[in-house]
Amino acid sequence: MRTLRSFVLLTRWQVLRLQGMLPLAVVVQVLFAFGIVVGYPLLFPQIDQMTVLFLATGAPAITLITMGLVVLPQVVAQARTEGSLEYMRSLPVPRMLFLAADLTVWLAIVLPGVVFAVIIGAWAFDLTLSVSITIVPAVLLVAVTAAAIGYAMASVLPPMVAMLLTQALVFGVLIFSPINFPSERLPGWLQDIHAVLPVQAMAEVIRGSLASKAFPLTAGPFLLLGTWCLLALGLSYLALRRRA
Amino acid sequence: MLLKIKNVRKTYRGPLRRGPVVRANDGITLDVDAGQVYGLLGHNGAGKTTLVNQVVGLLKPDAGSIELAGVDLVAHPGHARQVCSLQPQAQLPITGLKPRQAIDLIGGLRGARRQDVEARRDRLVEALDIGEWLETDGQKLSGGVKRLVSFAMAAVVPGRLVILDEPTNDVDPVRRRLLWDAVRSLADEGAAVLLVTHNVVEAERAVDRLAILDDGRVVAEGTPAQLKADLEHELRLDLSLEPGAAMPAAASFVLRFKPNGSRAQAIIDSGRAASAIAWAQDLRSRGVVGEFSLTPASLEDVYVELVSNTDRRPGAAPELGPGPSREASHAHAA
Repeated sequence: MRTLRSFVLLTRWQVLRLQGMLPLAVVVQVLFAFGIVVGYPLLFPQIDQMTVLFLATGAPAITLITMGLVVLPQVVAQARTEGSLEYMRSLPVPRMLFLAADLTVWLAIVLPGVVFAVIIGAWAFDLTLSVSITIVPAVLLVAVTAAAIGYAMASVLPPMVAMLLTQALVFGVLIFSPINFPSERLPGWLQDIHAVLPVQAMAEVIRGSLASKAFPLTAGPFLLLGTWCLLALGLSYLALRRRA
Repeated sequence: MLLKIKNVRKTYRGPLRRGPVVRANDGITLDVDAGQVYGLLGHNGAGKTTLVNQVVGLLKPDAGSIELAGVDLVAHPGHARQVCSLQPQAQLPITGLKPRQAIDLIGGLRGARRQDVEARRDRLVEALDIGEWLETDGQKLSGGVKRLVSFAMAAVVPGRLVILDEPTNDVDPVRRRLLWDAVRSLADEGAAVLLVTHNVVEAERAVDRLAILDDGRVVAEGTPAQLKADLEHELRLDLSLEPGAAMPAAASFVLRFKPNGSRAQAIIDSGRAASAIAWAQDLRSRGVVGEFSLTPASLEDVYVELVSNTDRRPGAAPELGPGPSREASHAHAA
């Protein structure tokens, strides 16, 4: 009960801290998702139905992944630089609630963009999506895993290093990860790496849940992602508990 | 004793474990009782903030023990956060939050019931006279008001130990007094208050006991009166020279004479007060001295004496290196 109340209060604290930029953040996320769906096709001279389907189902995954791996670590790094994180850490609040509250707030900020990207994609390219109920666990699993990795990173590394790393990650995720295109296009060694990294599995569970007819879902990516999720949460827990 | 800190050591290393080793706390021992305001004094970098961050479980000591009411806080940092409330030295970024929201949310996060938090918040706001800013956005508050709000956040649900790290910085002189009264109330209500400051003059009036830290060690510990006992038989005569006047020679009864630009300080035996005043008045009548004052030795005099006696490179914390290890010299005044 106390934990639940703390979670609500902490979430409220974060929302109030962000309230000035909240509407803008939502708009930026919507534009970001829009850009991926509508902007990426400009890279291709000719575009077939499969490419479009990849783009439309990749955009939600990219939005969620960048939230966890880029936006959250930047928020944490900034809070560390200003000293507010250390103050919050002096409060009698279970450590993982910090992650839970930040994740909740940011998920609320990016979800409109995610939904918008799917609708815009389906409308612009006249796609028929077959949304499965697995979209709910898929979105949560992707969001929690990405956020936990981002949080662990930003809690352990010096803030400046964490900020730089997020820049490198956004680059890797946008260009060198099989989210908007099939993994067969990557060189073999990179395919092997992505077979164990979580990013490809993140794209697959979202894609399979949105267009289950074209991309039949299997348990494999869910299992891989579940493993990463537990690992990342464990790492975050250790990182948040750490006393220098 | 409520809080027992024993032989706490903490060293810092540079990034990637390279660079010089800095001994921030070098065997600190002190006890704080419930109902007591305990001052932790020292220059910048003396190790004060490092010490309190170990008490609240933000840092882990390399060695030594910290106990609160018999519970080992080093082993149970979660318990430490439950029983200690902290006003940090850094200004809290409360952008987006109004003081009322910030104080209430922290009270709630510290586990108190909503009605209790609100009642206590109202009392604190009144005591500190910050009511007019209660609904002002955090980013529009002045530094002093922010500091007072930060104090209210620590005091709204105080816990058994309240740690205040430089609480009076940026606060105007009138509200400073209100703040000291509020600090005293915390102790009167039964909390132990650990007060970190480098403002010796204020501390002298506000604390029951204090420890002076220098280079990570306790160089003196006791009540203000105990620490001043050594200087009890001495008085301080401060002289301000008239512009252009030459520095006068010390009178024969002066124990120590410290000229400093257009000012001078003469330490005399307390039995020679009359002679000292006569001497100063003579200097004044001859146009050498403009103003003078004769005062008993203050805690600041003790502090300066103690801290300037230590062999220390200016501004640098001590490095660990080969050579004789220094024994912590606890100058417990009688």
